[in-house]
Amino acid sequence: MAHSNDTHAVAIPLVKNFTFTGGMRITLLVGMAIGLLSLGLTYLGDDGTHTRFWSNLLHNSVFFTGIALMAGFFMCASITAWAGWYTTFKRVWESMSLFLIVGLVFMLIIGIGVWQGWNHLYHWADAETVVTDTIINGKAGFLNSGWYIGGTIIFGGLWYLILSRIRGLSIAEEKNGNDGDYNYHQKIRVWAVAYLPIAGFGSAALVWLWIMSVDAHWYSTLFAWYCGASWFVSMISMTLMLLMFLKGRGYFSSVTPEHIHDIGKLIFAFSIFWTYLWFSQYMLIWYANVGEETIYFKHRMDHYPVLFYGNIVINFLLPFFVLMRNSTKRKFGSVGFIAFVVFVGHWLDFFLMIKPGVLHTAHELGGHGGHGGHAESASHGSHGGHEAAGHAVEHVSNFTSGFTLPGFLEIGTFVGFLSLFLFFVLYSLSRASLQSENDPYYYESLQHHT
Amino acid sequence: MGAQRLVYGLYNDEEILLEAVKSANDKHIEIYDVYTPFPVHGLDPLLGLAESRLHIAGFVYGLLGTLTAFLGMSWIFTKDWPIIFGGKPYWAVPSFIPITFELTVLFASIGMVVTFYIINGLGPGVENNYLDDRITDDKFCIAFDSNDISNSDAESFFRSTGASEVHEKDL
Repeated sequence: MAHSNDTHAVAIPLVKNFTFTGGMRITLLVGMAIGLLSLGLTYLGDDGTHTRFWSNLLHNSVFFTGIALMAGFFMCASITAWAGWYTTFKRVWESMSLFLIVGLVFMLIIGIGVWQGWNHLYHWADAETVVTDTIINGKAGFLNSGWYIGGTIIFGGLWYLILSRIRGLSIAEEKNGNDGDYNYHQKIRVWAVAYLPIAGFGSAALVWLWIMSVDAHWYSTLFAWYCGASWFVSMISMTLMLLMFLKGRGYFSSVTPEHIHDIGKLIFAFSIFWTYLWFSQYMLIWYANVGEETIYFKHRMDHYPVLFYGNIVINFLLPFFVLMRNSTKRKFGSVGFIAFVVFVGHWLDFFLMIKPGVLHTAHELGGHGGHGGHAESASHGSHGGHEAAGHAVEHVSNFTSGFTLPGFLEIGTFVGFLSLFLFFVLYSLSRASLQSENDPYYYESLQHHT
Repeated sequence: MGAQRLVYGLYNDEEILLEAVKSANDKHIEIYDVYTPFPVHGLDPLLGLAESRLHIAGFVYGLLGTLTAFLGMSWIFTKDWPIIFGGKPYWAVPSFIPITFELTVLFASIGMVVTFYIINGLGPGVENNYLDDRITDDKFCIAFDSNDISNSDAESFFRSTGASEVHEKDL
């Protein structure tokens, strides 16, 4: 019995359709323009291989693609687990998951760039290095542009096909209604179950290719988990902020503090899960103390101290202490604040995963061509040209904006991608009824009580 | 606490129970207590029960565990018996974290269980009076203090709200 929910639902009429107003469109288009401008300015003011431009593109594409992937993943996991509490805002996850197609286009652009040698994002993409560097040579069977592009198309394509199929079935269910045997829901369940292993294993492979291989000599077996947890927290925080925005506009009056409470719990729990993985990765490498592995952390602790330590504060300590109490998970002010903080926090986390490796690669390739080992000790004669930025950052300053800390152009690019993401999600939301009343779990969701 | 004469009704279903509690609230009949075999959603606010403070105790116990583990290991490995493990410094903080975590969980969980037992007067070998065996199994019980309501009023209340049985007992 949900006494408080009943009165709530009666008091505010349930709006069935979302109107994507002109005001929202213009705001988001301005945001996208800021993003384009930032990317353009980055490109113009960049080194010869446009390291900053490509790494920003990779960082944001990976971040938002992962959010779409995780929205689909959690929706499918919930369907598989016969969960019902989220059904009233199921369309939000559906819409978020459909952004996958846009993210994949960006990843393909980057993949083609890797293939054609437009960028120096990945050390393994350099043909000369693959011959001379034994470690990279040993990984060449997987780390190559064929796998990069092929993997993105095959895994990403499968994900999108399944998620758009689920979306199609869900809308058909809404239109036609379930007959006695819940035929639409049964079909959705089958696709959801199929999505889970494909997304689980596929995302691990793509995380290795897209993100981990920017440090081509280094690897960590739990990196895909770590990355996935980061994506998940970003996704669930995004969900909460979207719901807050939509509720503020009068939509989703069916989403009560009970639903918000559960989303708050997920932010809390997965922030701790992320920390657990962060620490597991860190402690094993610290304890084993093998040079090839410790270089990853050494580099980040020495040159990116603000982000490295700040990462733990904003992605673990803040959500842990603020969301520990029951009441803070239910109040929009506290849970919304934390959602915003950890969303930005995990964007910074991805910055920290990607930028140092890319910068190192740009530095090595620019300065030393196919030089085998790490180039830390090599002389810094007169290389000139495009590797200068890399040198400057790695050896002179710890606080160069855009490389060791996000600068205005990074923030602008982030705003652009965020606007694109929101534009797409709100557009998808406006294309179908907000409430999925024919879902067998719909009334369970309205009655939800934690 | 002297003996208290209670009149109580047993219900077969938690939905009927919730309706009965609402009805008692509407009629301003003071409920002595409600007994259910499992936590019933939405019952606490109806009875006006405040949020449990057990988790605050849990936080304090957890913090105690954190400090015990961390400060303990710090003292042992730097002052009491410094040993070099695996070429790490004496004060090797990352290697302390797992044990700190474990002790936090251990202190919080054991502390909360013990606190819960003490507050509720439970424990091995403790004899407790209870109204009816079946309220730990399949019956849902509302009890009134006999001083607050006459037996006939209680009887008619329980009958009208769908109770399956009405009894009286000293507790």
